[in-house]
Amino acid sequence: MQRLMSLGILAPALMALAAPTQAQTVFVSTQLRPIEEATVVRQELLKDAGQVDYVVEEPPQFAVRMEAERQAGKRTVSLVGALHGELSPLADNDTLEPLDDLAKKLAADGMPQSVLDLGKLGKPTQQYIPWMQATYVMAAKKEALQYLPAGADVNALSYDQLIDWGKALQEATGQPQIGFPAGPKGLMARYFQGYFYPSFTGGVVRTFQNADAAAGWEKLKALWAYVTPNSTNYDFMQEPLAAGEVMVAWDHIARLKNAISATPDDYVVFPAPAGPKGRGYMPVLAGLAIPKGAPDKDGAIKVIEHLTTPDVQLLTAARVGFFPTLNVDLPPDLDPGVALLAGGVTATQAAKDAVISLLPVGLGDKGGEFNKVYMDSFQRIVLQNEPVAAVLKEESAVLAKLMTDTKAPCWAPDASSDGPCPVQ
Amino acid sequence: MTTTLPKTAPASFPSSRRLLLWSGIAALCAWVLVPIYLVALGAFGGRQGVYLWPKTVLPTGVSIEPFLLFLRTEGVVGSFLNSLGAAGITVALSILLGAPAGYALARYSFPGKDGYRLLVLLTRAFPLAILALPLTVSFIKLGLYDTVVGVGLIHTVLALPFAALVTQGIFLGVPRELEEAAWVFGCTRLQAVLRVVVPLAMPGLAATAVFAFVISWNEVFAASVLTVRNRTLTAYLLTVLAESPMHYRFAGGLLLILPSVVFIFAVRRYLFAIWGISSK
Repeated sequence: MQRLMSLGILAPALMALAAPTQAQTVFVSTQLRPIEEATVVRQELLKDAGQVDYVVEEPPQFAVRMEAERQAGKRTVSLVGALHGELSPLADNDTLEPLDDLAKKLAADGMPQSVLDLGKLGKPTQQYIPWMQATYVMAAKKEALQYLPAGADVNALSYDQLIDWGKALQEATGQPQIGFPAGPKGLMARYFQGYFYPSFTGGVVRTFQNADAAAGWEKLKALWAYVTPNSTNYDFMQEPLAAGEVMVAWDHIARLKNAISATPDDYVVFPAPAGPKGRGYMPVLAGLAIPKGAPDKDGAIKVIEHLTTPDVQLLTAARVGFFPTLNVDLPPDLDPGVALLAGGVTATQAAKDAVISLLPVGLGDKGGEFNKVYMDSFQRIVLQNEPVAAVLKEESAVLAKLMTDTKAPCWAPDASSDGPCPVQ
Repeated sequence: MTTTLPKTAPASFPSSRRLLLWSGIAALCAWVLVPIYLVALGAFGGRQGVYLWPKTVLPTGVSIEPFLLFLRTEGVVGSFLNSLGAAGITVALSILLGAPAGYALARYSFPGKDGYRLLVLLTRAFPLAILALPLTVSFIKLGLYDTVVGVGLIHTVLALPFAALVTQGIFLGVPRELEEAAWVFGCTRLQAVLRVVVPLAMPGLAATAVFAFVISWNEVFAASVLTVRNRTLTAYLLTVLAESPMHYRFAGGLLLILPSVVFIFAVRRYLFAIWGISSK
């Protein structure tokens, strides 16, 4: 027994020591992490891109690794795929290889210049290549539509109509039926930055504590009466939707996709509601970048070229639900669930009262603290019922300090600023 | 169990005692097995199966697709071996280093002993997330980055304090007289330890090994920051499991339970014996 045990311990240790290392392009990505999607990336999207080792990583570990490899001066990662906001601190450290040649080529191939310019992250050179995009939408079970208030168009809801709808649903079913991803890993902070604030105040930072914002928070409190209290546990709305815990939900399209693709006939997908200043929405952009000193820069460039071909971009949309950054039309034979989501995205972008909210630029590694300001305000005002004005005043001081510390200028929909974005 | 024998039971039948014994055993087994069975049901029930309510007791619409996807996922086999390797290194090193430390704490009194006992815990006082950056930088410089040995070393650091303190308690439980008797019969100190103390402490050492194994098997953060391609299974799968559909989570859960069960099964004899020691 003893011998068996020590053998059991030593054998794998020796095996591990002898494990061979392969020479491949290492592609570390914070996107497309779930196992099904990672498998799609490995087996379909990267099939003809040469020898690529696709490694997925959560954002905190990603940030640590990139910084550690920079400090140690020895790279193992040749290509990174991450969100705009995750790439921004890397660009601030000047650790990304300029990709202007690739950008020029893609502009000629039909990638909109406005999208490409986001990849500059405020620098003179191209820091990353836009890879795929997404946004946030609302989804509802079809049986919830019968409770829509009279005269309401699901594709042009207002906050008042959403509140009435939630009330009718609660009266009909006996339970609150609206859900938000306000859990620890949910994307609720983006709701405030891209939807709530632009819709109610027409800004995100400048208007943080003005009268419009205070009125908006009161409205949100009214809405929250019809939002399920389990929302603070939800990270991905596809699960409560599929499990029948909620009938109406707001989330990132990739986090709704599984529920909707499984039973596309049961759902409608539509834009988030509009407030007095319009219908805020936030595009999400993931990019591909090459760290300086990458061991296989040529291989990485090949992978970027491969992933930004029209075919692969369309395949990405069809298989994982992230939409192309190239200007290509989605094919008609798209997966019904993805088509439904694409319809919701188009309705959002095409809404007459749409207010586009860009991703924060120049916050560097302070993105998490920026999110925390909004989430803290939400917790204090809505969940703990503290007075709106007092909370906004305190949190605006935190926000103002963050802006001065990072010297981040205003971004849309806030009016542009000289120097750091002021909190008015 | 026998004390709860109900008064109404016909005590004259010896079989009723046995019935009670077996029903107790069945209840205890169910305590452990029913949750595992439910996990298995979720794993095999397919995408919509996990949302069905009420749950059926018998599996319907069995699909092994999630499992196959797991096993077919590139690198699962490699990361499984990496996990075993890292856990093996952790178990070996924490016993080899921790047991002598525990023995010293149990048998010798030296100045600063209490302080040492406290300091040993300090390696667990700093969250890995804070240490991660300097650690990774030095691992890159030392060439341990992206190696199983590196992960094993870090996991050893995490497991060592427990190994030292747990083995201390175990060595305290081995009567000093037995060791002294061995000296009388001509053993050197080392021989006495190896021939008398260690065999008696084996159950406890096995428990320590299980502990170290589980610490290493479950650790995610260090294992994923310190490796790129040579991921451990938990780092490779567990981080993405939380974001996968329910039936994959169940499938992954079942897959990750298995090695621990096998390992504990392998050392079960020693684990049962430890109850004997601790009740002395």
